[in-house]
Formats: sequence, structure tokens, C-alpha cells
Amino acid sequence: MSALISLKKLKKVFSTEEVDTHALSDIDLEIKSGEYVCISGPSGCGKSTLLSILGLLDTPSGGSFILNGTDVCELDAKQRADVRKKEVGFVFQSFNLISDLTVEENVELPLTYRKELSKAERESMVANALEKVDMAHRRKHYPSQLSGGQQQRVAVARAVVGNPSIILADEPTGNLDSKNAEQVMSLLDQLHGEGATICMVTHDPRGVKRAKRSVEIFDGRVVADSSLSRPKKTEQSEKELATEATVA
Amino acid sequence: MNFFADLKVTFRSMRRNFRFSLLAIFVMTSGLSLSIYMFSFLYNTLSAPLPFDQGERVRKLQPITSTNQFLSFRLSDYQDMAKSQTTFDVFDTYYNRRRNLVSSDRSFRDRVFYVNPPFFEVSNARPLKGRVINQDDMLPGAAPVVVIGEHIWDNLYGGADDVLGKELRIENKPFTIVGVMPATYRFPDYAKIWAPFDMTTQGINRSNVPYASVYGRLKEGVSDEQAEADLVQIMEQIALEYPELNEGESVIVTTFQKLAAMTTDTLILAMQLCVGLVLLLACINTGNLLLSRALEKSKESAIRTAMGATRGVLVTQVMMEAVLICLISGVLSLMIVSLSLEGSLTALKSMFLGSEPPYWWRFELTLESYLAAIFMTVATAVITGLLPAIKATKGDVSSILRDGTRGAQSFQSGRLSKLIVISEVALSSALLLIATSVALSVIEKNHTDYGIRLDGYLTAEVSLNRSDYRTDERRLSFFQKLEQELEKQPGVDDVSFTRMVPITWARVEQFEVEGVDYGKDPKYPRPEIVTVSNDYFSTVEIKLFEGRTFSEQDRADTPLVAIVSQNFIKKYMNGEPALGKRIKLARSGSDWYTIVGVVNDVTHGWPYSYNIERPSVFVNLQQNPERAMSVVIKTANDPNLLRETLRRVAFEVEPNAPLFNVLTMERNHERAVADINFISRLFILFAIASMILAFSGIYGVMAYTVTQKTQEIGVRRALGADNQEIHVHFLKQGAIQLITGLLVGIPVGIGLLNMLIQSELVSFSAMIFILVPLAISLTIVIAVANPVRKVLKLEPIHALRYE
Ligand SMILES: Nc1ncnc2c1ncn2[C@@H]1O[C@H](COP(=O)(O)OP(=O)(O)OP(=O)(O)O)[C@@H](O)[C@H]1O
Ligand SMILES: [Mg+2]
Repeated sequence: MSALISLKKLKKVFSTEEVDTHALSDIDLEIKSGEYVCISGPSGCGKSTLLSILGLLDTPSGGSFILNGTDVCELDAKQRADVRKKEVGFVFQSFNLISDLTVEENVELPLTYRKELSKAERESMVANALEKVDMAHRRKHYPSQLSGGQQQRVAVARAVVGNPSIILADEPTGNLDSKNAEQVMSLLDQLHGEGATICMVTHDPRGVKRAKRSVEIFDGRVVADSSLSRPKKTEQSEKELATEATVA
Repeated sequence: MNFFADLKVTFRSMRRNFRFSLLAIFVMTSGLSLSIYMFSFLYNTLSAPLPFDQGERVRKLQPITSTNQFLSFRLSDYQDMAKSQTTFDVFDTYYNRRRNLVSSDRSFRDRVFYVNPPFFEVSNARPLKGRVINQDDMLPGAAPVVVIGEHIWDNLYGGADDVLGKELRIENKPFTIVGVMPATYRFPDYAKIWAPFDMTTQGINRSNVPYASVYGRLKEGVSDEQAEADLVQIMEQIALEYPELNEGESVIVTTFQKLAAMTTDTLILAMQLCVGLVLLLACINTGNLLLSRALEKSKESAIRTAMGATRGVLVTQVMMEAVLICLISGVLSLMIVSLSLEGSLTALKSMFLGSEPPYWWRFELTLESYLAAIFMTVATAVITGLLPAIKATKGDVSSILRDGTRGAQSFQSGRLSKLIVISEVALSSALLLIATSVALSVIEKNHTDYGIRLDGYLTAEVSLNRSDYRTDERRLSFFQKLEQELEKQPGVDDVSFTRMVPITWARVEQFEVEGVDYGKDPKYPRPEIVTVSNDYFSTVEIKLFEGRTFSEQDRADTPLVAIVSQNFIKKYMNGEPALGKRIKLARSGSDWYTIVGVVNDVTHGWPYSYNIERPSVFVNLQQNPERAMSVVIKTANDPNLLRETLRRVAFEVEPNAPLFNVLTMERNHERAVADINFISRLFILFAIASMILAFSGIYGVMAYTVTQKTQEIGVRRALGADNQEIHVHFLKQGAIQLITGLLVGIPVGIGLLNMLIQSELVSFSAMIFILVPLAISLTIVIAVANPVRKVLKLEPIHALRYE
């Protein structure tokens, strides 16, 4: 299988008045379709920066970034927006639901930017996504009427509703207690089981354990990539955890 | 309470947010300046008491019928009222006439006021020299005396010390000067010369009694309504006694101030409403600025509350800033207003044809202006400060302190900011609608086609004494001589005469056209009738369309002829051929005039539609020798250069007939549009102020809303929205507010326009209904697109991380 994402010598420098921060230096990374990657590392090492570049929310300062065979660095703003709406789904640490929109409308939002979809198609996709995260019964609520865990599940539904090539999640459980975090984690697991490609930043050791591949970053560089070393028993416990979560 | 500590904190925060404070002060100063200015202007001209003891109790009376208001009463009605009235402690009459005034070597024409002794008592008259008119002067057979103003003293007597006892000839009758009044004494309004009241009802049939003005001083504690009720009842009594003369006639109590103002009540009301709207806009803007600031500080307020501050303390702190801003703005406004009041005096003087505005007009900040300014400042401070203070401190403390709950709070303030934008759009569209209509109609009037050429003419009026010019021959020979002498002068190209210079005024008469049956209740044509000399049409370039103009053959002993304007035929003769048809004045005993020519329409009177649309009938000076005419001189040079020549020649031809209203034709036009130009300048000022306020207000709110939604923009972009879609999203939101605002504002504007339409100050034009919404839409588009563009310039990730 060819690489979905391919980064070569990727750099990101933030220039402020006093200093240049090398947030990312010479990152080489490939992510294949269907992979479940976890990115970890100490605070300030560049995880979020990497993720936002992967999601085309930021531009690299150097190096190359090939997504699905296209050189992303060559694209203009309009084409980048196009790639985002079709290929990428986001889950943020702070949920980032829009407070004036209902659950349903929040989930539908990325679809409204895709002109090729009819209203009926959009509705069924939204219903589907809400079903998946078990939030269908709350579809008329506003975000402020939901708990943190529920809000994040809506955010996950919003990320997957358009069947993106890759789901990017930046500390999706950072603002949640362990029970809610568990729910969200198993949700991602489930999506992965259905074939989604996931790239997640997390400090949560349980999250690291669930992923199929762990990339460790230190000071803007990849220092470990444990893609193949994966003990069987983790898989086992994962399944157990998953069933546990569904029951809860 | 530690008031000073709070004050210090407020000052510090204002200094830190210097640009914000500057903007708020600018907005508030604009609103307050306009309001204080308008208040001072209207109060000083309309409501301020006359400047003498008990001046606040002096009233003028006006006779009215159901359709009309008049200026003077039948003298017999005055006498009856004076006998029975119980509400005035002085109840007096006077009249005035334009008179030729001649000293030993100079002449002048001005109004003479014929007054009784109480006139001077009421007005606290203190002569510079000599005395005022007293009871002895009123006795039958008393030597005729006159009191002159400083102005006449200077002009006719060179300010000579021995002026008392000298002779002044009024209409060629000798009067002895007994007093000189200071230049500031102009009672009742524009008087410069006073003589004893000489009208009488004795031996005159009531229907032929002359008319005179009536004024009085209310008794202490009597209200206008009481006085009016008393007089109305007397007038009803008179009407019962003389139904054929007084049926339907009543009286109103008004003031000299109101009568002298050239505006109407509706116009004043419209101006006040406009000012109110502008001030409201300013309040909303400043209030909104303060609110957004207060919301930014809501976290700080919450922390303070958590540390034990009461709500009252927090409200005080937000209020303090509002009060400071309004206070600074109030002081600045007073400074601006005192300067601009001086400026408007200059502007107004140019309207009054060389003389001054009414003597009681004061163009300075009076005590009342200061009181109004203080009141407005306090009111605006409360309006702008209280609401934001309450709003910003109402938030639930724990929810503000808990992180990440941006839900309910932003939802609430979002609704408020929408409301603000809607009201700004509504207010500014109403204001702009009025202001542009006024401006458009003024532009139209400034370009009025009067049917004559305007440049290169000097005009002047002359009125011959009745006693010296009883015969037609004498009058005609005077005009012939004046024309001959003037045409000899270098620079004079052409000289002719007209009863009235177009633009200035009109004499309207009822006419009938031969062969037309006007029925039982006749509505006769009402054109103006203008007596002109033969070559008048060519002098002022009035075009002849049919027939001929007047010529030497038209004499007193040949058939009477007339020339009519095109609209006469259209309006009164169904457009049928007019040459050879006959018309006459619609009263018994008048002769038939044969129409011999048709010329273009000419406007007599100021450029209001009823003057522009009224047809003209021209008749010949030879056949209708008038005593009063205007001379029109054509020149290739600056007409003003001929002023002295004209004066000199006229004095040589007839020293007892001084010229007056010596003006260029262009100046006549300027005078005709001066008041509307002045008023329109005020309205345009409102328009500019409202546009600036609305723009800065809408922009401020929109920019703030967008900044608040920076993160949302980031989210939307992360979800795939491209720049265009983001723009469309926010423009759509703006459009809803725009349309709601216009739906409220435009009808309000139209309502106000309807008020003004009778005053002919506005002209309805479809254009404004396109231009005004367009201008405001553009404002909204800019106010939305610009801040959105700024956010879009960031990489989406920075927008997402924005706090
Ligand atoms: N807009 C910016 N301007 C300047 N420096 C930045 C900017 N954004 C990030 N950085 C710097 O880049 C580095 C990487 O930041 P990044 O947010 O990627 O860290 P992170 O690994 O996600 O940390 P954490 O685990 O705390 O979220 C940090 O040193 C940060 O200070
Ligand atoms: Mg991070």
C-alpha cells in the first residue's frame, strides 16, 4: 500500500521578534492508509505544530509534504481548503464546537462546505455519524447544554462525518476525566476498526497503548518510531477495554 | 469609599487604552456638539425672551381663519379687543410702511414704524439723544415728530451732534427729529425709525378701516392659553356683531421671535428629531464601545466579586469611565459650539441682505445652553454607562471563572451587538434619507431656471411719491428720463423696467379668459401680473415664441395688449392658440387685454413649486403707468461696478425717490436660496455626522464580533471552509441586520420626509431610495469584510489558538 502521507525534511520555524523557534526540524515520516498513529513527546516539542501542518492548518517552512500523491506545498488557499474538507477530519482538545449551532448543525458544518452533497445526503450522513458516537438523542441540543465528554463525542462525529482520509486528533482527551476519556478513546478505536486512518497526539499512556504505531518527538525531531514493535497482549487488552467502554 | 483610588484606576485604564478612549470621546463629542449647537441656535432665536425687563411676557397677536394666518388686525377689532380684554397689562398697536426718507442732502428708503407711547415703555427704550414719542405728540394738531435710529443718524446726517430739531422728510412731508435710539434698539423687530401712530377709525365705515399690528404684555402670572381664550371669546363676540366682516376670524397669541424665524414648526421639529437621532447614535456607539470593554473585563470583575466586591462597586467602576468620557466630550463640545455659533452668525448675516438678523438673536453660549449641555452630558453618561455596567457585571461568576465556557455568554452579547447594528442602520438610514432629500432639493433649487438670464444685471426698486406723481404723464416721463440718463453712462448696455424683478416677488391677480364660463362658484385663473417696459424681454433675454413683444405703438390711446407665458396657455386655455384672444382682471370695471405674444415661463418669487408653476401675464408700462417699478441694467462688466453710477443718476433725476434693494440679479437668486442653503447645510451636517457615527459604530461592532469569532473562523476553516465561504457566512449575518435595520429606518425616514414636504425643503426622488440603502450596505460590507479579511490572513491554526 502506498503512503497516504509522506513528509521529507519537513521544517517549521516560528520567527518572533526575539528568537526563531525551530518547532520542527527535518521530520521524515510516512503514514499509510489505515494506520493508527500516536504522536507523543514532552510539552513544547512540536506535536501540535506537526499535526496542524498535517491538517493543512499551517504551512511548513521547508521540506516536502505529499498527501495522497499531491504536493501540498504547491496548493493555493482555495485548493488547501478543498483538501481539508475532503481529506481531513479534526478533533481538538478544547472541542471547538460552535456555540450558536445545535449538535446537528455542528456535525453538518463540514458537509455544508461540500457543494456536491444534497440536503438529503447530508442529513443521512449526519444521522449516521451521530449514531456512531451515540449522540443521536441529543441532536437538537446546544453545545453549552452538553457535558465535556458529550461535546467531544460530537466533535468526533463532526470529524468523521465526511469520511475523511485521515482523522487528526490533538489531545482529544486532554480536557476529559478518565471515564469520558475512555469513551472517546474506544470510539477512535472503533473507527480505526472500520478502516479509518488516525493520527493522534496524546499524553495519555492508555492512548499510546491503543495505537498501532507510536512516534516520539523530542525538540522538533522524531526520536523513536515504534511502528512494528507491538506486543500481542496489548491488542488483547484493547479489545477488552473496548467492550467495557461500550457497556458503559 | 475610596473614590479617588477608583478614579485613578479609571484614568490609568483610559490612558492604557488611549485609542479606544480617543474614539469614544470623538464619537460623543460629535453627538453632543451637534445637539448643544442646535439647542443654542433654536433656543436663542425662538425661545429666549426679548432682551428687556419683562421681555418674557411680551406677545404678538395674529388674526387667523381656518385656512390662513395674517399679520394685522382691522383697527376697529383691535379697539374692541383693547376695551374688553383682561389678560394684558399693556395692549397696543402699531403699523409700518416703506417710506422715502430725505434729509437736506441725502435720501434713503426704509420702513417707518408708527407707534404709541406705551411702545417705548414696554421695550425699555433709552434714547442716545433727546426723547422718545410721548403723549403730547399724539394730540391732534401736534407738530409731526420722528425718532431715528443710530443707523439713520449716521447715514442721513453723518452722525452730526446737532441732529435734534433737524428736519426729515418722509414721503416729502416734514418731520422734526426729537430723539436718536442706539443701534441695538430695534423693537419690534427691524425698526430704525419711529413716528407717532396716526391711524384712526373715526368717520370710516368699519369695512374700510385700516389694518395694524397688535402686541401686548401679559399680566403677571397669566398664561398664553388664558390670554388666548380671553381674546378668542372677544373675537367671537365681534364676529356675532359683524358676521359679514368677521365670520370665521379668530386670534392666536404668539411671539415676535416665532414670527421672525423663517422656519416652520414642522421644520424645527424635524431638526430636533434629527438632532435627537444623532445624539442617540452617539450614545449607542459609545455605550457599545464601553460594553465591549466591560465584557473584556468581565473576568476581572468576576475575580473581584470572588474577592468580595459588591455589584454596586463594580457598576460604579464601569460607570466612572462613561462619566469621564462624557464629561471630557461635554467640555470639548462647548468649546466647539461657541466657535461655530460665531461662524453661523456670519453665514446668517449674508442672508439678511446687508441688514442684521433680529436684534434679539444671540450667537453665544447663554446660561440656558450651559444648563442644556450639563443635562445632555449627564443623560448621555447614564445611558452609555449604566447599561454596559449592568450587563457586564450580571454574568454568572462561577461560569465566567470556569474555563472553556464560551457558550451562553457570547450568545447573549452576540444578540446585543446584533441589536446595536440594527439600530445603527435604522437611525442612520432615516437620517440619511432626510439629509439627502434636503440636499437634493437644495441643489435643484440652486439651479432653478427662472426663465431669464442671471449674470450681468444690476436691479433696483424705486417708488415715486404719490403727491408728486399723480398723473400718468409725470410717471412715464420720470421713467423715460431715468432710462435716457442711465443709457448715457459708460458700461451700461441696456436699461428697462419691470414692476417686479423675477425671483424677488410676485403680484397675483384673478383673471378671466374671454369666452370661458367659470360657473357659479368661479375659480378664476391666478397668474401674476407684471408691468414691463417695451424692451424688457430683450434686456433679460426672455424668449418670444409667438406674436410680438410690446412696442412704441402700444400707447394709452391704443387697445390694451398683454403677453402671456406658455404655461398660461397650457393651464388656462387648454393649449389652444392664444394670439388675438382677450383676457381681463376678474373684477368689474376692468378692461379687456388682447394677447399679442407668447413668451417662455418666468418665475416670479422664490423658487418654490407654486411660484415656478404659476403663469405670468405681462402688460405694458405705457398703458399702465405704475408709481413703483424696478430698473434692470444690463452690463458686460461686473454689475456691482455700476452701483454708484446708478445711485448718482437716480438722485439727479429725482432726489425724492431713493433707490432701494440695489442688487445684482445673481444676488437676488442667492437671497432666494439663502435660507434653504443654510438649513440644508445643517441637514448635510447631520448626514455627515450620522454617516461617520454609523460607520464607526457599525464597524466597531462588526470588528468586535469578528474578533470574538476568530476561533470560530479557525474551526470553520479546519472543517474545510474556504475564504469565500467564510466571507459569505459573515456577510449573510450582516445582511439580516442590514435588512431589519432598513425595514425600521426607511419608514421612519419617510415619515419625517412627509413632515418636511409641505415646507418644500425636500423633493422626493427615487434615487435616494437606492442611494441610501446602497451607502449603508457598503458600510456593512466594509465593516464585515475588512476584519474577516484580517483574520483570514492568519494561518488557520493561529485563528484556532486565538484567545
Ligand atoms: N505561533 C507561534 N509563534 C512562535 N512560537 C510558536 C508558535 N506556535 C508554537 N510555537 C513554539 O513552537 C514550539 C512547539 O509548539 P507546539 O504547540 O507544537 O508544542 P506541543 O508539542 O504541542 O506542546 P504541548 O504538549 O504543550 O501542547 C513551542 O516551543 C512553541 O513555543
Ligand atoms: Mg500541543
